[in-house]
Amino acid sequence: MIAAVALVIGIVVGLILRPTVPTWLEPYLPIAVVAALDAVFGGVRARLDDVFDAKVFVVSFISNVLVAALIVYLGDKLGVGSQLSTAVVVVLGIRIFGNAAAIRRSLFRA
Amino acid sequence: MTASRKVTTQQLVDLVLDPRDPGYEAAAERHGGQAPKHWYDQPLVAAGALVVGLVLAIAWVHTNRGAPAAAKAHDQLVSQVRTAEKTAGDLTRTETALTNQLNAVRAAALSGSSQLVRAIERRQLLSGEAAVKGPGLEVTLAEPTAAGAPTDGAGRATRGPITSSHILIDRDVRSVVNQLWSDGAEAVAVNGIRMTPTSAIRFAGDAVLVDFQPIASPYIIDAVGNPDGLITGFAASDVASRYQTMASARGIGFTFEQKDELMLPGSPGTVLRYARVAR
Repeated sequence: MIAAVALVIGIVVGLILRPTVPTWLEPYLPIAVVAALDAVFGGVRARLDDVFDAKVFVVSFISNVLVAALIVYLGDKLGVGSQLSTAVVVVLGIRIFGNAAAIRRSLFRA
Repeated sequence: MTASRKVTTQQLVDLVLDPRDPGYEAAAERHGGQAPKHWYDQPLVAAGALVVGLVLAIAWVHTNRGAPAAAKAHDQLVSQVRTAEKTAGDLTRTETALTNQLNAVRAAALSGSSQLVRAIERRQLLSGEAAVKGPGLEVTLAEPTAAGAPTDGAGRATRGPITSSHILIDRDVRSVVNQLWSDGAEAVAVNGIRMTPTSAIRFAGDAVLVDFQPIASPYIIDAVGNPDGLITGFAASDVASRYQTMASARGIGFTFEQKDELMLPGSPGTVLRYARVAR
């Protein structure tokens, strides 16, 4: 409940402040978005399975973002940045779909 | 070797079939299947969710701010091009007016010797600086109308959209112009741009350029000369038969007709920077 409220507050704050993304951060924005969505769906699924853990939620989100950003940073330096960024999005996207399917199963039993 | 491959395959299968973060399971197992309670649980979740929401909002704002910026840059460029075109048009008009003024003043100054005036007029005629009128032939080449956007008559490229098909290129316009010269044309203009001895018909991007001015389909080539000689010569030429074939095979527009009176504008004049009269 408090998580949902905080999520909405975060969105509203972002919309009000409209911060400018520095150019050097731009390549990491899509990765941050997908990692954020992954954390949300993973958290919701864990909540429905009654194994939700605040520490795991925060640490997995932060570490996913950092690792994904590191991979893309390395890829940028080695000339395969966009490909690796696609790989990160695909992997996290698979996780999102799987978690969404699990959420659907536990909500609708279907 | 086999074992490691098995593990790798299993990991991939796990990734697809069971994408749940094992961290939650492990944490639950550590605490005996029951999620533990800490004082920092709620603030931590709230802060995490806040960051997640912030990231999503920033991404949304960023994406939607980028698009209008690109459109704005595009609009700016378009307006710059339009301004430059307007300036060029104004300068050309000024030049034409000044040339007319110069001719008038010169004619007045040389009123004593009509022979000189005639010699100058003849040279201006040959160099394409003076506007001419007379009978001749009008050749029209056009991109297929079905594929292209409708155009409003012969135009500079700015007046209508450049047609989507590009069957006709500079070579086609040039070969018609050259054929008309060889059939005895005395003055030629393409879409209202007079051909001079230094004129070039070129191709840049998708536009035909005549003396650096882009023109669009239909290409109307006017030639002043002996009308009978022009039409018989042109009709019998290889160029005409090639475009007749293209007209039936690929649907381009190709017509030519004799005109009793054609008006060709003068060219603003050529400035020669290097050529000097050899004596």
